[in-house]
Amino acid sequence: MNPSPFQVTSRLVKDVAVVYPQGYLNNLAGEGLVSECSRYARTGIKKVVVNFGKTDLINSIGISLLLHVMEELQAVEGTLCFTDMSKVQVDIFEMLGLSKFFLFFPDEDRALQFLNVRER
Amino acid sequence: MELGKALFNIAALADLGEEITSEKNFQEKLHSLLHVVLGTFLASRGAVTCQDRSGDTMAFVARRGFDDLSPAAIDLGRIRSAGKNEPFLNADDAALAAAGVEVVTPLWVRDEFIGTILLGRKFTAEPYSREDFELLRVISHQVAITLNNHALFLNLSEQLNDNRKLYEEMRRIYHDTLQAFAAAIDAKDMYTRHHSQRVARYASAIARELGWSDHDIEGIYVAGFLHDVGKLVISNELLNKKTPFTEEEKAEIRRHSLVSYKIISQIKFPWKDVEKIIKHHHERLDGTGYPDALSRDDLSEGAKILTLADSFDAMTSERAYRRKMDLRSALIEMNSCLNLQFDDKIMLAFCRVLDKEIKGELPEPDILPHLGRESDLTVISAMLEGLIEELSGQKDGG
Repeated sequence: MNPSPFQVTSRLVKDVAVVYPQGYLNNLAGEGLVSECSRYARTGIKKVVVNFGKTDLINSIGISLLLHVMEELQAVEGTLCFTDMSKVQVDIFEMLGLSKFFLFFPDEDRALQFLNVRER
Repeated sequence: MELGKALFNIAALADLGEEITSEKNFQEKLHSLLHVVLGTFLASRGAVTCQDRSGDTMAFVARRGFDDLSPAAIDLGRIRSAGKNEPFLNADDAALAAAGVEVVTPLWVRDEFIGTILLGRKFTAEPYSREDFELLRVISHQVAITLNNHALFLNLSEQLNDNRKLYEEMRRIYHDTLQAFAAAIDAKDMYTRHHSQRVARYASAIARELGWSDHDIEGIYVAGFLHDVGKLVISNELLNKKTPFTEEEKAEIRRHSLVSYKIISQIKFPWKDVEKIIKHHHERLDGTGYPDALSRDDLSEGAKILTLADSFDAMTSERAYRRKMDLRSALIEMNSCLNLQFDDKIMLAFCRVLDKEIKGELPEPDILPHLGRESDLTVISAMLEGLIEELSGQKDGG
């Protein structure tokens, strides 16, 4: 089965950017995720939630792209939250020692609660 | 090494293989390969450099970060003296250190230095491990082969391009020579100036209408140019004689197609049967032509095309012994000779292409520009439409 083409959508919830990568984060189309996060960072948004609920798999290219996102938020002392990740993905990030650079949440609501954002 | 990390490394190698064999363009491929390397070693800065063909300078072919690093500042001597595809920690090169390069891998294929992979520190700030270096050595080897293959491909492409230019140049010279040769043939007879050139164009236009390949069209074009080469051995007085030929003179004139064949047979053409097409351009479907008195089934399509093209030009040109025919009269004459002299399939193609030229449907007409302007083209077009309908019906009806 061919993986679905990668695409990114996002929305702003108060001062938090919620980004939804969709598809297989394995190719250069994934740079759309980096540019989406950069776009918010340039407008002063320092809190970013990336919802991986519709991301099938993350390979080495995907990790390289996420390093970029982590670095950008680190530079502005922002907060990066990852949600809706599969256990396999969480295990990989922990094994690589990357989990200290962002926060894991089971779902988007809990990430937004943590960031003190209430949706109406 | 723990199992999870080993599996991650294997997956990284699989990612590398997938990118190397992908159909992306070379620049995208290198960009992806760099991302594979960065993601595998958790480096947020990295670059792939490639040596130019002179071997004097390096250039970045993919990079993330290292914006202040100039390839010219890299000490290539130091890198070349390190082990082939063996990563090492940068300790001595101040320019690399200043740019944040922590690991350097010289890329080699056999005895050829290709370039480097440069990596910055790990995002996690951990040091590079022995296992990292082992994996990087394997990856570097694959990247080096990819870069080398691309360089080989470029070399081949350049050679191919040079050969193509050379071929085109030779082809142009060849055609110029043919034209000069044809002009020499036609110059023997003051009434047949440019005859060979016109026959070549008419024949190739018919062949194109019949769906011949470009290669075969070029072949019949050449046959058209050379079909009368045998006239070189016939005296000018005879060719330009204004009174009717005697039987003996007719026999002498008729020798030209066989002489043409004998001359042309000495040339090894890249096109099939040029000499036979030339030999048979005065044959007739009814078997009364010369030199071999062949009939319809024995004649090639090329010979039938050349016969019609040659006859049409003869009819529509001045001759020493008669005035030229107008286009309408020539078409009537050709139609009356169908299945005796001319093949109906070739006649149909000829009518179609001429009709298209009259209607302006062909950007570069081959026939119309060579015809006199005295004919009413509206009338001719209507006549051609009638002929096309008639010939199409005959063809469909077998």
